[in-house]
Amino acid sequence: MKTLPSDIGGEPAGPIDTIDHGMKHWERQANAFRSVVQMQKITCTDELRRAAEDLGDRYKDMHYFEITTSAMRAVLLEKGLFTEQELAAKMAEIRARFNVPDEMESPIKKGAKK
Amino acid sequence: MTNTTHDYYARKSSDHHDHDHDHDHDDHKQPNPANEHDNGPPGEYEIMSRAMQELLEQKGMITAAQVAKRMELFDEEFPYHGAQVVARAWVDPAFKQRLLADGRAACAEMGAMLEAERLIAVENTPEVHNVIVCTLCSCYPRALLGMPPTWYKSRNYRSRVVFEPRAVLKEFGTELPDSVTVRVHDSNADMRYLVVPMRPQGTEGWSEVKLAGLLSRDMLVGVTVPKV
Repeated sequence: MKTLPSDIGGEPAGPIDTIDHGMKHWERQANAFRSVVQMQKITCTDELRRAAEDLGDRYKDMHYFEITTSAMRAVLLEKGLFTEQELAAKMAEIRARFNVPDEMESPIKKGAKK
Repeated sequence: MTNTTHDYYARKSSDHHDHDHDHDHDDHKQPNPANEHDNGPPGEYEIMSRAMQELLEQKGMITAAQVAKRMELFDEEFPYHGAQVVARAWVDPAFKQRLLADGRAACAEMGAMLEAERLIAVENTPEVHNVIVCTLCSCYPRALLGMPPTWYKSRNYRSRVVFEPRAVLKEFGTELPDSVTVRVHDSNADMRYLVVPMRPQGTEGWSEVKLAGLLSRDMLVGVTVPKV
């Protein structure tokens, strides 16, 4: 009797990519952010897991750090640490900040492009 | 990490769901090669995560320095104690007994402080082979094995290893005789597992350090076995 979207043990699934791809840069940020938030006792593993389970049908199409980031969003909103409007405004600000001319960007990108 | 993969401005690509690129982070000692998939415009979740961090910084609840420090420590803070613990168990029967009786206390003897309340060490024998999973999320003995590999957190591993472990092991190149019982252990936030592989024949008289060199993370999760 299945009740939670995270309860996937025993389901059929595809082959396993046995290579460890490590964490992408943003995943390291998300992971580190989560660690700090937990260390500061702002939230805890159980609250975040409950929020991840609340994702319902969305859970299955999301990647690991997308799930944890969505869970963090839900928990911090519930706690009233910021509003949806504040978060949307901050996201818009960051999006604009990323939108800089190419030559100002990371040396990786500069070197890798064309 | 000092290489440019983790440059603050590194970006992820829009096709970040695609994991079939072939760079290899398997070796703990090797720096990650430059990952072009971190280039390109930032995705929604990246922006969301960063925005949440900055909002909490503005409220004075956390600092950017704390997060930056954690990012730097991912590789250093969880040293690869697992191999040392198992090598000690191979050479010191009394330590092995203590490890199997109370994994957390035995690891503490060696300076590895487990984050979970319990660590259960499960010993492979000629009759039984053990494998670890966390079907619900990604619970893993980080203090012993470092950060969990991508596949450990993947839907496919979490779903399948509990009902067709032999098929999963085969994908990792591990084939066990039919006579061997395969036991899969499902971890949780309060209880983690460590596989103690069988010491391979031909390692008689080896030093603890040399034995530890045989042991990879995958063996301590139980998806591969040590060989000489």
